[in-house]
Amino acid sequence: MRGFTIIGLGGLLLAQTLAPYALAEDLTGDPAAGRKKAGLCRTCHGIEGLAKIPIAPHIGGENPNYIMHQLTAFREGTRVHEMMSVVARGLDDQSIADLAAWYSSQDVSAALAPGKTGDMAPEACVACHGADGLARIEDAPNLAGENAIYIDTQLKAFRTGKRTHPVMSEIAAGLSDTDIRAVAEWYAATKIEIAPVK
Amino acid sequence: MKYLLSSAAALALTAGLASAQTPAVPDNLEKLSNFQTTGATEFTFIEQKGEYADGIKKNLERIKMPPGFKIGLYAIVPDARHMAVGPQGIVVFVGTRKDKVWSVTDRNKDRVADEVKDFAPSLQFSIPNGPCFSKDGFLYIAEQNRVLLFPAAEFFYESPDVAAFNLVKKGELIPAGQESFNHTARVCKIGPDGKIYISLGQPFNVAPPENLETNTKWGIGGIIRMNTDGTGREVFTYGIRNSVGHDFHPVTGELWFTDNQVDGMGDDIPPGEINRQTAMGQHFGHPWYGGGTVRTKEYEGQDVPVEVTMPAVEMAAHAADLGMTFYTGNMFPEKYKNAIFSAQHGSWNRTVPVGARVMVTTIDGDGKATAEPFAEGWIDENGEYLGRPVDIAQLRDGSILVSDDLAGAIYRIWYEGN
Repeated sequence: MRGFTIIGLGGLLLAQTLAPYALAEDLTGDPAAGRKKAGLCRTCHGIEGLAKIPIAPHIGGENPNYIMHQLTAFREGTRVHEMMSVVARGLDDQSIADLAAWYSSQDVSAALAPGKTGDMAPEACVACHGADGLARIEDAPNLAGENAIYIDTQLKAFRTGKRTHPVMSEIAAGLSDTDIRAVAEWYAATKIEIAPVK
Repeated sequence: MKYLLSSAAALALTAGLASAQTPAVPDNLEKLSNFQTTGATEFTFIEQKGEYADGIKKNLERIKMPPGFKIGLYAIVPDARHMAVGPQGIVVFVGTRKDKVWSVTDRNKDRVADEVKDFAPSLQFSIPNGPCFSKDGFLYIAEQNRVLLFPAAEFFYESPDVAAFNLVKKGELIPAGQESFNHTARVCKIGPDGKIYISLGQPFNVAPPENLETNTKWGIGGIIRMNTDGTGREVFTYGIRNSVGHDFHPVTGELWFTDNQVDGMGDDIPPGEINRQTAMGQHFGHPWYGGGTVRTKEYEGQDVPVEVTMPAVEMAAHAADLGMTFYTGNMFPEKYKNAIFSAQHGSWNRTVPVGARVMVTTIDGDGKATAEPFAEGWIDENGEYLGRPVDIAQLRDGSILVSDDLAGAIYRIWYEGN
């Protein structure tokens, strides 16, 4: 796989990416209110954010800004998904902030697959997503323990333009199907733990 | 590349089968070179005993069925989706929406599986949801964008090195640009005409107008069929949103299928569907209809440019009817002969969840179909899922298997009488 130098670039573009969502960020989310609203989410994402179905990502312990950014994008139609577009359509800014507060307050940890070391992790990804799949920056999702096909699908969506992001679109454009699958399998093999909620 | 060696053996065997039963296998050793090995040649075995199994058995005590029926844990199978029972009765192959196919073996025939391990670990699968068998022992696995064929799978599965062929090469089931993850749980079955029938869900909630031409051409949002050598592909069924289960009526040979209907229109509309197809090329209404006779908002008021076949029976809205099989066994009471057993996965965003049960649909002499719950209790008093049924398959003794991708299990339902 080719390497990419994106660290500096990523930081710059990130500020731009988040700017349009300033409105939602100004709201203070209430985790308790978010927990109640998470009835909408739990069938697929679990009440603590450990996904129950393969097509849904784990969102427990995700950065709140990432969650708010994605829910807003689904609501505005800049990101499209058959299920999420339907769900997000009905969410106001406060609900989005509450859901982000609930899921981001979960306790997440991750570990490399047995026999692997951090220097074997995909070079293009680690600056933002970490070797273990726990995000290092605000606007990146955790990838730890994610189903390989989920990551594969998202990278291909960035490559074809179905999903866009200033950093990810560029990175994905340079990846072959084989590169994508290798990245996906690296993170799928890492182990995620999200503390269960009573 | 160990499997190349066994493939040679497989070819020899296949040739033998071919002369005896004329199954059409592409004679294409070079196609094997298209496969990429992951280097994984060791099996992953799934523990069948212990706390996890005990927890599932406890949940099964809540399941309600008609008098005389019993349910038990058959196997722990992670992410269990659609099932194919081997014609020799040795093994059940189980697909997933991830990257594994599981083989489930009941060696001592006590109707509880003894061994669950991954099938063909040296192959890299992508959403291998749909396994199906031909009567002569060829296993087909429908993936996101490929269909593989495994001769004598019930023999070869004992080794990590299997003989595998392309029925539909990667990237040729649908155009790569149309690939998705959701609505990509493909199902296959071999029809009474010997052709393989494969469902191709369309990935949107409501198919957008700009996709309709491509969908019609490829059979996306439809069911395609082809010969078992990969030739003669044609679109058999149009106007489906996302079908995840089909089977052929044991007497009439007609294709029946479930279809999942449009979301976001309210808790109680549109209805789910079980459909009956009486001729090739029939259209079942999507995207003009969202389920039953309910029109979609996106195409509201527009003339419907096709003749639409309405469902044979309307099911509960959002209950997510998935896998189905016609019952042809001798174990269950007469009422169930040639009835459809189907799985409802359960709703994902309905205010009060519905589904997560096994339904039975009986068809009277006039072809009128009536559905009722058969096994239920996988939604607890807090509205939380304890399990989500996906598919139904029949064992040779006339009992049925139910797969569950939430619990990661397969249950067996049998009849003992009163």
